Amino acid sequence: MDVTMPLVEARGVSKGFFGNPVLKAVDIALYPGRVHALLGENGAGKSTLINLLSGALRPDGGTILMDGRPVTKLTPQGARAAGVAVVQQELSLAAELSIAENIGLGATPRRFGLIDYRALRDRAAAVSALVGLTEPLDMPVGDLPLGRRQMVEIAKALFRRPRVLILDEPTSSLSAHEAGVLSGLVRTLAAGGVAVLYISHRLNEVQALCDHVTVLKDGMVTADRSLADVSAEGLVRLMVGRDPGDAFPAFAPATAGEELIRVDGFSAGAVRDVTFSARAGEIIGIGGLIGQGQEDFLLGLYGAIPATASKAEICGVGHLLASVAAATAAGLAYVPADRKKEGLVLTHAISANLLLPSLGRLMRRGLRDRTGEASLVADLARQFSIRGDTDRFVQALSGGNQQKVALAKWLPLAPRVLLLNDPTRGVDVGTKREIYLMLRAFADAGKLIVLLSSDTPELVHLCDRVVVFRQGRVVATLAHDKASEEAIVGAAMGLGIEGVAA
Amino acid sequence: MKAASITRILFRNPPLLTLALVALVWIVAGATLRGFGAVGHLRYILELSAIIGIVAAGQTLVILVGGIDLSVGAVITVTAILLPLISPDWDSTGIVGVVVTLAVAAVIGLGNGMGQVYLSVPAIIMTLAMATFLQGLLVLIAGGSAVSVTNEAVIWLGSARPFGVPASIVVWILVAVAVLIIIHRLPFGARLLALGANPLTARLSGVNVNRTTLAVYALAGLFSGVAGLLVLGMNRQGYVGIGDPYLMTSIAAVVLGGTSILGGRGSYAGTIPGAILLVTTTALITVVNASPGWRSIMFGSLILALLLISGREAQR
Amino acid sequence: MNLSPSSPRWLYLAIQRRRNRGLNGLYLVVAAFLIVYAILFPGLLSIGGFSKFSQNWFPLALVTMAQALLMLNGGISLAIGPLVSLGAVVAAISMGGPAGAFGGFVAVVVAGLVIGALTGLIVAYMRLPAIIVTLAGSFIITGVALLLLPRPGGYIPDWLSQALAGHQPTAFALLVVILIAWKLFLATPTGIGLYAVGDNPVGAFRSGVPVERIRVVSFAISGLLTALAGLFVAAQTGSGDPVIGTSFTLNSMAGAVLGGVGFLGGKGTMRGAIAGSLLLSVMINVMFFLGFPPVAQYVAQGVIIVGAVAIPVFASRWRKA
Repeated sequence: MDVTMPLVEARGVSKGFFGNPVLKAVDIALYPGRVHALLGENGAGKSTLINLLSGALRPDGGTILMDGRPVTKLTPQGARAAGVAVVQQELSLAAELSIAENIGLGATPRRFGLIDYRALRDRAAAVSALVGLTEPLDMPVGDLPLGRRQMVEIAKALFRRPRVLILDEPTSSLSAHEAGVLSGLVRTLAAGGVAVLYISHRLNEVQALCDHVTVLKDGMVTADRSLADVSAEGLVRLMVGRDPGDAFPAFAPATAGEELIRVDGFSAGAVRDVTFSARAGEIIGIGGLIGQGQEDFLLGLYGAIPATASKAEICGVGHLLASVAAATAAGLAYVPADRKKEGLVLTHAISANLLLPSLGRLMRRGLRDRTGEASLVADLARQFSIRGDTDRFVQALSGGNQQKVALAKWLPLAPRVLLLNDPTRGVDVGTKREIYLMLRAFADAGKLIVLLSSDTPELVHLCDRVVVFRQGRVVATLAHDKASEEAIVGAAMGLGIEGVAA
Repeated sequence: MKAASITRILFRNPPLLTLALVALVWIVAGATLRGFGAVGHLRYILELSAIIGIVAAGQTLVILVGGIDLSVGAVITVTAILLPLISPDWDSTGIVGVVVTLAVAAVIGLGNGMGQVYLSVPAIIMTLAMATFLQGLLVLIAGGSAVSVTNEAVIWLGSARPFGVPASIVVWILVAVAVLIIIHRLPFGARLLALGANPLTARLSGVNVNRTTLAVYALAGLFSGVAGLLVLGMNRQGYVGIGDPYLMTSIAAVVLGGTSILGGRGSYAGTIPGAILLVTTTALITVVNASPGWRSIMFGSLILALLLISGREAQR
Repeated sequence: MNLSPSSPRWLYLAIQRRRNRGLNGLYLVVAAFLIVYAILFPGLLSIGGFSKFSQNWFPLALVTMAQALLMLNGGISLAIGPLVSLGAVVAAISMGGPAGAFGGFVAVVVAGLVIGALTGLIVAYMRLPAIIVTLAGSFIITGVALLLLPRPGGYIPDWLSQALAGHQPTAFALLVVILIAWKLFLATPTGIGLYAVGDNPVGAFRSGVPVERIRVVSFAISGLLTALAGLFVAAQTGSGDPVIGTSFTLNSMAGAVLGGVGFLGGKGTMRGAIAGSLLLSVMINVMFFLGFPPVAQYVAQGVIIVGAVAIPVFASRWRKA
């Protein structure tokens, strides 16, 4: 028996949506001073569990206990009052408000009914210092890059002096340095007696940081144990319920195909003067620290943002593609990183999303061919193992399945070049592997794949070459045998590692 | 059990729900009010609904694409005043005047689209400014007095009854079929729905945002023009302000039909009963013989009440 | 704990300064128009001229604030015009009553607050879109105004008309008072909650901001400002008129948009909206003095609104290029 009492505990909680059980009799206990990892594939019920613990949702069965006392109707206010703070993936910031106002929002110190800006400054400055936020406090949050906003969000949680801190994938948009600051912070907080619940898809992070792990699979707890003697492979096994095997498919060097992309002196957005070429059958990795122009590079090639080049040849077209329509016609397809905002129409049916790029190709007597469309949708769903009724809204799918829809919708166009922007971000281990296998198969079938990834192992294991960006320029091009994690990260940080020109 | 499931089906399907409301109102009013259920009266209601329905056809497309058109009333007025002025005397059929006027209406709509596409002006401001602009222009041109129509084609539209069906209803049926095909059976319809729900995704999926927006607003202008001709044909006179009542009613008809005001979700199939419901309501209020103030209050309250039943926005 | 080097000493002032960013262009345009106007009409610089000018601006400034308040919060109102009319009507019929001018003032305030709050309650708790609710509301409010006063008339005490719309810049002084009150309101948790709710309602809810309550409060304040604009209009004309406010719906939106307030909520500033309303007011005055017929003013206004919204877009495109 533990001597200490858990600050927050769920006992046998269950929750369902529209008759689908999402959590089944789940137990979890958060103890002071312990960093507790919550693992599980997407759709395993992690978000629902967080929402139950923070009062955003009510359980259908079971009890939530705060300081050992059962709470019947937990509200977000009640949870906050009990000292529970949540940092969710969807940020809760207001762009026009200053950093300080955002940090204090909902809990601002006040005097005579007005906000006490002096006290707000002092306390906001203190938590900002903790998370390493050096921007002026009066700066509007809208002017910050995404990673810094994430730090504001964390500072905001700390501002309320939480006793229980729940972090939902806090590092997904952080740079290595920021992630390091966060790790240190989590340790400090835990040492000070805060109970931390840490959710992440990055297993090395979890291993380095956490003391205890709860693994959810299909809404049930499959493990609740100390992390002391578990290896990374062991963690994966706990999550997927089977042996992980090799995460990546065997690497096969590309057989040099036709040159599909060649640009000289290419500039777009933050990208400056890049020379790049790639052939059919290759998988080309795009790496670097977050926000060094990688995304603009893909968007520029795709005709989605204005671009210039001294010389360009893309899929046989002798100039840059001026619009997305021109790009798709030439045989390019782009899968965005933010699938909810850019890749999918969440409030439309799966079928409607799958058909969007190929509208107008399946016609009979001037009208859309319903039968043809239905069989195309069915084919795609089968090929990508997207299960269930395709008339459901995409919203209803888990993250991994949404990503499959965002990818699958391009296949009917038979693109020759796939521009993929971080296709496995926030995707569970099982689906990740499926996606890797698909990429391998596409490349073997003679497609060119340009893979932008924030997950360095992906670049190392999948790519024929890795192109590393720094401040809008290409600082290294590493062939497969030279592309180690160290080499990629080193180049990204601006360390002089010898590049191997393609 | 069965009743419960019927209710559920109705609430899941806004067009059907609106249609059921129309049927309910007609049955109750027909049974209680003398003269309401007469064929002539119902036909009259449908004739009036046709005009709102046609204006709302354009409004439906615009709202589906995530915008709003506050210039439909002004466009109706423009067509109603312009047609008598520009119909050439040598054309006894009046077709030339009709075609030219409709082209003008479509161009005005196109202007609304261009303001958004090339100047990045939000729809609500662009179309409001267009309405203000047209209002001033009309008074400058027509001088504020009413103009009578002699155009044969338009008079025919306002009075003919091929096979006993008023021409305006025939036109409405044609418009309805066209719009339903556009939304449900043409790629253009699917693209505009995607554009209305998520412009960024639509653009990155190869939808030509500019062209789609321009086409939608041009269509809205065209449909308002058609409605303007019908209004003119029925009134035999065009004057400044003749189109004003159709602005709010067109939006109300769309929303009553279950189309999301936020764009991306809905269908013209709901707007059709929405228009009929609106006109029926107005007719009932007129029957009550109240003062203009009470009529306005009842109309507003009824829209609000109907919205609570049918037009609830599923938030997030 | 030490302050980090980046924390400004006077946080409030620093934040206020930041909010002026991006508005300098607008301020310049307003200043330019004011100078043109002062040249065309040197009387502007006299007390009387300034008073008349600020009286033309005052109701527009109020309704623009009312509209901007809702837009910042992610809403909109199509019932601004009718509510101005109702405010005028309530003032005109109640000031002659037993409670006198003060009673009339109270009646207008109550009418504005109650109607605004009711609208807000429907929008916030029944989850109906504001544009539709206020559309239906515009019919209801117009109807009520017509019932109360079917044709122009009523009574406004002469001294009140003199005080508000006479030769002293009372209107301007009142505007300053209202702006100070707004600043104080913005420095409350509810005030910054307004921005947060407009920009990120889910996030605001999770942060413990009472989202629904703030919606209702913003609609109530908006209704109050609008009804007060009606009271002022009634004092200007000396009577009530059930349709006098019609043009204010469009102008309130135009002013707010000219001032850089966005339609999607959380974007823009009230000071921008005030400057926008001033710009609109000056433009209307300039056209009047240039001898535009009233009708041509409509034409010009349509063009100017589009132009004013489009120019910043073009400017930013050039800057990027």
